[in-house]
Amino acid sequence: MTTHAGPVLEALDVEKNFGAFRAVDGVSLSVRRGEFLTLLGPSGCGKTTMLRMAAGFESPDRGTIRIEGADVTGVPPYSRQLGFVFQNLALFPHLTVGENVAFGLEVRKVARAEQARRIEDSLQLVGLAGHAARRVHELSGGQRQRVALARALVIRPAVLLLDEPLGALDLKLRRQLQLELKGLQQRTGTTFVFVTHDQEEALTMSDRIAVMNEGRIEQLDDASAIYDRPRTRFVAQFIGDTNLFDGSVAAVDGGEARIDIPALGASVAMAAPAGLLAGDRVALSVRPENLRPAADGPGLAATLHGRVAAGVYAGTHHRFRIEARGRELLLALPARPDRPPPFAPGDEVEVGWDASRATLIKAN
Amino acid sequence: MPWTAAGRTLVAAVLLFLPAPIVIVVMSSFTARGYISFPPGELSLRWYAEFLASPDWLMSLVVSLVLAALAAAFSTLIAFLGALVFTRKRFPGAAGFETLVLLPLIFPHAALGVVMLGMAGMFGWTGRFPGLLLAHVIMTVPYAWRPIVSSLRKLDLSTEEAAMSLGARPLYVFRRVTLPLLRPGLVTALLFTFIISFDEVTVSLFLVGPDVTTLPVRIFAHIQDSGSPVIAAISTVLVALTVLVVLLLDRLIGLELFVESEQRRRPA
Amino acid sequence: MRFGRLAWLLMLPLAAVLGLFLVSLGALVWSSFAGADGVPKLDLYARFFARRDYVDVLVRTLWVAGLTTLVSLAIGYPVAWAVARHKGRRDWLLVLIILPWLVSVVVRTYGWIVILGNRGLLNAFLGWLGVVDTPLKLMFNTTGIVIGLVHVFCPFMILAILAVFLHLERSLEEASMSLGAGPWQTFRKVIWPLSLPGVISGTMIVYLMATGAIVTPLLLGGLRDRMLGTQIYQEMFQVFDFPRAATMAVILTATALAVVLPLGMLERRVSRNLKGAS
Repeated sequence: MTTHAGPVLEALDVEKNFGAFRAVDGVSLSVRRGEFLTLLGPSGCGKTTMLRMAAGFESPDRGTIRIEGADVTGVPPYSRQLGFVFQNLALFPHLTVGENVAFGLEVRKVARAEQARRIEDSLQLVGLAGHAARRVHELSGGQRQRVALARALVIRPAVLLLDEPLGALDLKLRRQLQLELKGLQQRTGTTFVFVTHDQEEALTMSDRIAVMNEGRIEQLDDASAIYDRPRTRFVAQFIGDTNLFDGSVAAVDGGEARIDIPALGASVAMAAPAGLLAGDRVALSVRPENLRPAADGPGLAATLHGRVAAGVYAGTHHRFRIEARGRELLLALPARPDRPPPFAPGDEVEVGWDASRATLIKAN
Repeated sequence: MPWTAAGRTLVAAVLLFLPAPIVIVVMSSFTARGYISFPPGELSLRWYAEFLASPDWLMSLVVSLVLAALAAAFSTLIAFLGALVFTRKRFPGAAGFETLVLLPLIFPHAALGVVMLGMAGMFGWTGRFPGLLLAHVIMTVPYAWRPIVSSLRKLDLSTEEAAMSLGARPLYVFRRVTLPLLRPGLVTALLFTFIISFDEVTVSLFLVGPDVTTLPVRIFAHIQDSGSPVIAAISTVLVALTVLVVLLLDRLIGLELFVESEQRRRPA
Repeated sequence: MRFGRLAWLLMLPLAAVLGLFLVSLGALVWSSFAGADGVPKLDLYARFFARRDYVDVLVRTLWVAGLTTLVSLAIGYPVAWAVARHKGRRDWLLVLIILPWLVSVVVRTYGWIVILGNRGLLNAFLGWLGVVDTPLKLMFNTTGIVIGLVHVFCPFMILAILAVFLHLERSLEEASMSLGAGPWQTFRKVIWPLSLPGVISGTMIVYLMATGAIVTPLLLGGLRDRMLGTQIYQEMFQVFDFPRAATMAVILTATALAVVLPLGMLERRVSRNLKGAS
């Protein structure tokens, strides 16, 4: 396999329509060698279509796809040297586990002895050593998952594309396989492009996440940046919970901006990103864990007075729904062992956030 | 359902009633007497010997076997090719097309016989083998169509994509993935159409000629003319062949397929 | 797998066979309207309905087919139920139904000749018992035809109804019982309505097959108690009158479709209403 210095997989301004529906709308993306990149978004956002175009199952209406720097836009899937793990796994039901894994090697006319060795290795890699003679229908859900991985990895693909392969599993197995998958990716050094609609899954596994919505990439960033510094309203709301406050920029002075927020009946000061102008419409995103009661200490950039509507205990946190100025706020406070919840429904509270804990989002 | 002793008796009676005439024919074929009778009395194989000594009877058996084999092969192939396109391409009037494929099912057989006779006449095939074959193909295509279409619909297209992503070219995918996964449907179609063609009599009545006669039609003609137990012997051979195919189907696919295919039967 | 435009060529053999069938069908209908000078006329139909004996044959065909269907339903329904609810392996029960169904009509009818004939099994048995002095006339009349046709076609009915029962969730019955409905009410309000698609499609098939039968009516009914099928056969091979046979074939098809098509629509409506029930 040739190694090439640039991105291992690239999409340049790719567009795909199904009838009148634009599934992918001018997406450009470049995947770095050895990374775990996740395409994350709600159903219908175009993430699976992107993946299928990369694999060659769909051809883009416009744009270019490159693998190892070579244009493969019109190249059929069997000539692309990519691995694909399907949502329903698509194991061959008429073949044994070993025969499933051997399929790609036989197509490549790999010598028998080497085939046997590589099948053994890849089954070992996924923890299924000794299962080669089993039939697919004799396996558990998690085992099938591993066969699908072994089958795709044994051909040493340039990139492994995974289309929501964990979707059908129950939560516990899913969590376990997420870790295994991440470990596998790190051990083999294979580039993974993973599609999911589950933001928690994406945050757990990915080096980088591309959040997609309505056929476009809203934000492509490190996993932590996606959560801490969402750049669009959609990203802020899709990844985790957040409190959004709409407002407009009253003034920009040096590195600081004053933002009027009608919902607060006040304005707040915060660091201004480059290019922000007075009069811009913006929103502030404040994560529930970045809100705190004013009673905990001074220094809040803004405060609201409200009443606790409901509270639940969620393991590590207490989560409260607070009604303030005609809207709802979400507040998360760390749970302390052996302490009762700090608030009960009906309590009056004063909450707010520290200036550094809010993220400014420009409205488009 | 209110389940009473009377109900059980009725069910048992029907389940005896269905195989009864066949069992009686088979048993009376072993009679030593010169006329058909039950119980058969003294046993002998003389009527089987007579069957095997008759070139006419043997010829009809060969005609029926060849006809059924060819009709099964052709209608399965034709239905398979058509169903492949039908299930994978969208086209306007697809539902109407399927109705058309199943159309021969909604004709009374006596009327179908007249239609087929007219068709054989158009080609000058009246009373000849090609006419019989064409008619049997038309009649059996719907029976091949249903198991094949349903196995094509059940086929998970992502297995084909998986094969392609592993580097297999379309022809290889077809040979190693598609075809093996469709095998149950194809085997069902082949065996089912074989049985239907092999046992068919009503429409064939209109198409046989002095030189070409199927076994069921020859049996029919002989029943009208004589009461010789040789008919029972030959019928037994026919039954044995049918049993063989049914056992094969049971082994390979399972008999519930007949129930399934019945459910999909929607004339008109 | 993706197909190019050439894929349509794969459809060609099927389309050709279907086209041939449609053309022959058209030719048959056309010849049934054949007039003396090539102008389409209704003469052949007028002559058919003018003959008392033909009309009798038509009426007998409808009567025999209707009776066959009713009897098949009456005995087929409980059998389908029993097979569907049979605990343990169903294979042997299915063999008892499917094997006779697949054995040639000629052989099965022949078996009935052996059983029902004047010197047949049944009369011999009754004579031996001393129940009858002269043999009962069980063949060469409508009774014989109906017995034979029910035997030949009731497996269609059983299998059609069984197909529905096999997909019927047992929990529906249990739900009905838990709501206080007794067995009879459960049957009337739950099982019977849900089994209607099977009943209707079984009825369609059996009626259709019975109207078009030749072998069984000819062998068990003889030449006196004719049905349309046997009449067509005679016109064709004893009188060699193709146009008349064609006319009868069209009449036969029309009488069959007059029942089958409305039933087909009914079945579709019933199935639609029952969507999600099974």
